[in-house]
Amino acid sequence: MVKRLSILAIVMAFLVVSIGVTMAGEGGNARKGKYLFRKTCRSCHMADGSAKELSPVSKTQADWQVVFDDISKLQCKDEWAALSEKDTKDIYSYLYGHAFDSPSPAKCK
Amino acid sequence: MPETKTKMMSRRKFLQMSGALAAATAVADPCRVLYALTKVAGENDPARIKEVFSACDMCFNKCGLIAQVENNVIRKLDPNPKSLKSRGMLCARGNAGVKQLYDPDRLKYPLLRKGARGEGKWMRLTWDQALDHAAEQLDRIGKEYTRCGFLFMAGTDMQSTFVHQFAEAYGSYNVISHESNCLLSRNRAFLDTYGVMPTPDVLNCKYVIMPGANRFEAIVTPDSMDLMSAKAKKSKLVVLDPRFTKTAAFADEWYPIKPGTDMAFFLAIAHVIIAEELYDKTFVKEMTSGFEELREHVKQYTPQWAQVETDIPARDIKRIARELAAAAPSAMVYPGRRSSDYEDSTQIRRSYAIVNALLGNWDREGGLLVPKKVKPGSMHIEAPFYEDNPDDRVDAGRAQMMFDEEGSFKHTRDAVIEGKPYPIKGWMTYKTNPMQTGANRDKTIEMIHKLDFMMTVDIAMSDTAWMADLVLPAPSYLERQDPLSAFLASSTCSGVITRDPVVPAMFESKPVFWIVKELAKRLDLGEFFDFTVDDFRKAQLKKIPEVAKALKEDGVYNVSGPSFGLHKGKPFKTRSKKIELYNTRYRDKGIDPMPVYNKPKVIPKNYFRIVVGRNAYITQSASTNNSLLWELEKENKLWIHPKPAANLNINDNETIIVKSSAGKVTIKARVTKETRPDTVYMDTGYGVLSKGLTNIFGKGACIAEVLEDKADKISGNMAMHETLVTVSKA
Amino acid sequence: MKQRKKYVIIIDAAKCIDCKACLVACKVENKVPEGFWRNWISVLGGENGSLRTEYQPSQCMQCNDPSCVAACPVQATYKQENGLVVIDPEKCIGCGNCITACPYKARYRNPGKRIADKCDFCEDRLNRGKEPACVVTCPTKTRVFGDMNDPESQVAQMAKTQKLVQIAAPHINTRPNIFYYEGTQLLDWAVTPKLPGNINMPRDFWKTVSTAEKG
Repeated sequence: MVKRLSILAIVMAFLVVSIGVTMAGEGGNARKGKYLFRKTCRSCHMADGSAKELSPVSKTQADWQVVFDDISKLQCKDEWAALSEKDTKDIYSYLYGHAFDSPSPAKCK
Repeated sequence: MPETKTKMMSRRKFLQMSGALAAATAVADPCRVLYALTKVAGENDPARIKEVFSACDMCFNKCGLIAQVENNVIRKLDPNPKSLKSRGMLCARGNAGVKQLYDPDRLKYPLLRKGARGEGKWMRLTWDQALDHAAEQLDRIGKEYTRCGFLFMAGTDMQSTFVHQFAEAYGSYNVISHESNCLLSRNRAFLDTYGVMPTPDVLNCKYVIMPGANRFEAIVTPDSMDLMSAKAKKSKLVVLDPRFTKTAAFADEWYPIKPGTDMAFFLAIAHVIIAEELYDKTFVKEMTSGFEELREHVKQYTPQWAQVETDIPARDIKRIARELAAAAPSAMVYPGRRSSDYEDSTQIRRSYAIVNALLGNWDREGGLLVPKKVKPGSMHIEAPFYEDNPDDRVDAGRAQMMFDEEGSFKHTRDAVIEGKPYPIKGWMTYKTNPMQTGANRDKTIEMIHKLDFMMTVDIAMSDTAWMADLVLPAPSYLERQDPLSAFLASSTCSGVITRDPVVPAMFESKPVFWIVKELAKRLDLGEFFDFTVDDFRKAQLKKIPEVAKALKEDGVYNVSGPSFGLHKGKPFKTRSKKIELYNTRYRDKGIDPMPVYNKPKVIPKNYFRIVVGRNAYITQSASTNNSLLWELEKENKLWIHPKPAANLNINDNETIIVKSSAGKVTIKARVTKETRPDTVYMDTGYGVLSKGLTNIFGKGACIAEVLEDKADKISGNMAMHETLVTVSKA
Repeated sequence: MKQRKKYVIIIDAAKCIDCKACLVACKVENKVPEGFWRNWISVLGGENGSLRTEYQPSQCMQCNDPSCVAACPVQATYKQENGLVVIDPEKCIGCGNCITACPYKARYRNPGKRIADKCDFCEDRLNRGKEPACVVTCPTKTRVFGDMNDPESQVAQMAKTQKLVQIAAPHINTRPNIFYYEGTQLLDWAVTPKLPGNINMPRDFWKTVSTAEKG
């Protein structure tokens, strides 16, 4: 998995990596985002994972907005770069839409 | 190889079951059989009785219990004094749990409908036949109508999480809980004010206003007991309720408030507290946002104005406001539980939340506390994504701010009937009974007729099971292994409880975990249920190993310790990071950012408002057929005040007709001053269609049949107090 | 020598919320058949549609001078050393004399066993070191059970600090062992016991009646 991503990352590196999502949670498919988040992010961002455990309620909507304003600042920017714009938007929709101060905070799952 | 294994298993199961069946025959006359058993074992040998921990499931509270087991028969359920939530109590329903287990009306094996829906003609199936049939339907409907064409609904149960996981693996996000017929508007209001649902510290509170909550009858542990303990400490209790409930009987002051006007009362309370500068100024400044807007907003809501709306004298409103403020921060407006009453229920509950904020009782002794539940781990399901699924839930957009993971029964039902935005053709219910608890029963029936396939997993033949195509028998809580479940117990503690089988499962009943696992196997989704309840528990216990020991030794895990002063300047989980007196998200969505009072509709002459409620021995429709409880109330009656009863020439105990736009029922009258002259009431859980509930069949009336189905605009919660009825002699 | 026990129940009726937990707990523990109860809750109010304002639990009072014992022609019902009034199922002939002799209507005839039955403070539980079912299950702990002869017991302590009263029958004081808090609006529900004419009552019994009348 990691290997596949890194190959993709090399390919993607030729593209300009600055997918800034500006619309407040709109446009993306949060349900798809949930699936993608689990598939791509949670392999590291989980309890006892290699990165900090994350779920939508780990941050406020404003905090998620900051994250997605410039994902090139993230440690895992290479992995992000491997995702399509649509997928990124979907993940953003999920995290933003179920953030801890959102109207529908995610239950601990 | 696996087949041989199954066969061996079933043979052993059969042997176990024959023992269980012997116990089941004992049901017919438990006295004699149990008596005989005691004779054999010797009266005074304490060792003859084995004690097993469990958690009650006769309502949602999960009180701790210790089963007294004799020769594999549960003789009695005793309270577990170690549970700091239930504090050594078990209510009438808890004690009647043995009758849920040893009930001749239990579902015994899988049943397939043979006649028309609701006709009551059934054919017995083997489990394999039943599961194959269900899997076939799930597969077909998923393919034909997308996975979202199958709806799932599970009640408040420790295994409901497996139904949700199954829905996720199967690929439907049309999952609804019972909660949208209950308390979602309350949760919505407090979440949108405090960012969490606080827990009320009734025990240490000096002044409690209880609007429309009936804590001495609708028992919530430990609040019900705490309220009595607080009373002994001379705490003051003010009850607002159109009915003279048993809670009202214990109140220092009872106001038979005009139904639907609670918001007017609390806006006037806010008016007095602000106008007379009685609010906690430091708290309001540091912890809340939108105070200036609120000050302006409530200027119009004077006590004199509220008197006209509520029927509560202005001088009392003023006095109560002052008394509340004087007792603050150890004073509260009790948030309540069931809030499925009006179309603006969320806004009504917002007014409670706002008054609490003015009192500055957040995180203080006797106030609203930070909920600090123990968080067991969980087992993640890496559910697949089905690209052909529609974008959203079927009820999406029908309420302004619905909880995505709860949904709305009312709106989902409407969507199924309309077939819009997309058709739903399958429905699985587990231990929930919307036929009785969802307002407007005819519409639920209409919804069911739109389906290709409906399956129900339950312990007895509820009205919902009665309408299903496939009925699968589940064991009672005393016969199964459950995952861990965390609970909150007011100021005292939080904790964890679980269940292991006290006795082997009777008949052919199977836990819903096993059922969804078997269905998953048949649907090629087996990988998502490649675990046992034990594995699930292990995952839950991973970070909290100390819990396992406590559960083994005490039957419950409690964490006590300081319960207030925990918040310590952390930001609130709201947009403004403060308590939102003024909610900007509401404003942005075109919702009133502060509660705006709308008059309830005027009750025309010869009409009554019908309200929903509880008593201490009824859990909606789940307990009325239990023979131990049925003996306490064999049929429900319509409470009607003597004045209108005299006008209508209706005598006590006389058979009458209650009619609304939704339906018409026949019921006996209970003429009593315990309700307002403009308000009538009946208990839930009678007037059943199911002939499988032999005690209550043909007794009383079903309130869901006359309730119209309005919804809270914001949360989509059912609004059950918006119905006006006429009453006449039969 | 160990002192004799004297089991009593003290009831703070002001705490009873009429949840009926004690009724069902008793019914299950003692296998009381449908239609019968060993304990009950009396209601203050509720007549002619009026408000029901107070609830008072009760059961057999394990009287010191039990009229039921006096009324039993075969000595099937008797008072034990520990204060409990019990029925010997082997001896009871089911004549029903004790049922009408009880001023508290605490007895019934068990149709299955065809003998008299009533509350015995769950003696079977006491033998297992447990309190009566009605006592332990109560959410508000309306009933407190204990040995009045044990000065350390909660009931003995309560008797010191709390003014207690009894519900006595008119014309006869059977000296009941259930006590209520003074100040609760106790209902006056005990009745004059009715005795069948077909048996000879011990002289003592009528003496008690006349003493009570004079007093």
